[in-house]
Amino acid sequence: MEGLTALALAIALLGVGLWTLIVRRNLIWKLLGLNVASSGAILFLVALAHRPAARPPITGLGPGPSADPLPHALVLTAIVIDFATLALALVFVIVLTERRHTQDVRRLERDEEHGWPER
Amino acid sequence: MAGALSGVLAYLGCGLLGFVGAPRAFSLLALVAGVGSLLSWAPGFPEALVGGLPWGIAVAADGWTLGLWALGLFLHAVLLIHARDRKDSFHPLTTVLIGTCLAAALSRDLFNLYVLLHLTSLLALVLIASGRRLRAIWAGVQYLILTQVGLTLYLFGLGLVYGRLGTLSISSLAGRGVDLGDPTLAVGVGLLLAGAAVETGLFPFGLWLPQAHGQAPTEVSVLLSGIVVKIGAVTLARLAEAFPVGNVLVAMGIVTGFGGILYALWERDLKVFLGFHTVSQLGYILIGIGLGARTGALLYAVAHGLFKGLLFLAAGEAVEGCGERRIAGLAGRLSAPVAVALGVGTWAIVGLPPLAGFAAKGILAQGAPVWTKSVLVALSLGTAASFAKLIPLLRPRGRGRVGGLALLETAVIGLGGGVTLLAPERLDLRAWVEPFLIAGAGYALYLGLRLRRPALPRFTLDRALVSLLGAAIVLAGAISFAH
Repeated sequence: MEGLTALALAIALLGVGLWTLIVRRNLIWKLLGLNVASSGAILFLVALAHRPAARPPITGLGPGPSADPLPHALVLTAIVIDFATLALALVFVIVLTERRHTQDVRRLERDEEHGWPER
Repeated sequence: MAGALSGVLAYLGCGLLGFVGAPRAFSLLALVAGVGSLLSWAPGFPEALVGGLPWGIAVAADGWTLGLWALGLFLHAVLLIHARDRKDSFHPLTTVLIGTCLAAALSRDLFNLYVLLHLTSLLALVLIASGRRLRAIWAGVQYLILTQVGLTLYLFGLGLVYGRLGTLSISSLAGRGVDLGDPTLAVGVGLLLAGAAVETGLFPFGLWLPQAHGQAPTEVSVLLSGIVVKIGAVTLARLAEAFPVGNVLVAMGIVTGFGGILYALWERDLKVFLGFHTVSQLGYILIGIGLGARTGALLYAVAHGLFKGLLFLAAGEAVEGCGERRIAGLAGRLSAPVAVALGVGTWAIVGLPPLAGFAAKGILAQGAPVWTKSVLVALSLGTAASFAKLIPLLRPRGRGRVGGLALLETAVIGLGGGVTLLAPERLDLRAWVEPFLIAGAGYALYLGLRLRRPALPRFTLDRALVSLLGAAIVLAGAISFAH
């Protein structure tokens, strides 16, 4: 994939993710939007590593320019973190669903205003 | 450098081992190792790369590192004493969280800070929810979603900066004298600031903070307000080192300070009230960072960690002891140690001499332009006015447990007295009278404001998200406009 295409796609993903995050009222959808948005940021970093006619940044692949290896290393870390975050967030959404029987943010907020049991 | 890194590793390792067994013993071991490590490298060391050239992660120890290490280790000691009966995963989680904070204080690399901020927010979420209270879990989920959005923006901004300048090290960015007239860079820096600002809890999208800090269990509130938000503040301080964004930070600080006070003035829940004041006091720290008053900002961050830790610990004891969260319902029901602690904390946060708040506020205001000084006075006035409603709580009834309160009180008084004695201009009669005048005016303001409670917009997740994205755009615009 060319660098510029990847860049455009990255910004599109970020936009779609953030849009979902704001417009959807369901917590699961919000988390999905969040994940799509961070995929956008990740794709953006991958696109940054692009050099015209470059080989992968692995030693022993021969001469010529190689892609920038640093963003790849960053992306790997970011992907792992995103996975951990999503898993943890889903656990707490499950707890909320079990105890309040809804994943709707506005309903949760309205209920909270009217008072929740302490436990 | 090796000493500092082994301190961090000891913390993370002991924390993880604590999940297997003997959590308190491992926590104590980590604390001892941490103090030993701090003593081995104090008062600091120059920048070094971990992992070798040229891809290593830059670490260094400066004043911020020293201050935050001392604060983190001290709060850990307090919690070890105060929460020694807690059997669940509290101690291991706390140990790992403090280890992360220690690492973040050392880091001088934008991506490394991103990873550590992420880790802090995940651990903080687990700790917030550890009380199993539904409100705390809900506040924690909102906190997680907001910080994750902030950090996604931060990652994007980091990419923009790296794409333009080819480095992520704070020092090499600072050495390069970055010109923010370039719109790409302005957007990148705006996104970085917005991301770090969510983690710090800046107004308005930082309104997750009072709920999360207020609903969390007592010891967790102490940790969150004491050290975790300071990690966000240190990230902002690093960004201010790397990029010329001082004025933007001052503006953010002023908005945050007044926003926090506005909500605190009419808040009825004791712990949430203290959470709003964490927001307002972050405004001070940010103004200090933006003005370049490094010592003042750092001193205020440490002092705030101590007296807010004291206030939260006392408030938690009060709330749990009486089974009542409303300030009005707690009047005259607190045990003597809790009432004294609340009194000392209030005295310190309002800035009355000679406690830590007085010393830190004085140093922060030194050399500030005149208009900023009047802003700081107005903030103190608001703080005094909102804390006036705690006065009925200070009438004690009966005895109670002292726990870690005494340790924190000693630190608040000791830091205040020490700094006051070391800074001769703080011994001036005018400097001593001024805070009392401000406090008196604040009390009058409180009596006036008590009459009517305005309808402030409620914090909702969607509003926070929209305001966060709006703030990112405004920040980018403001930065490129200012250059």
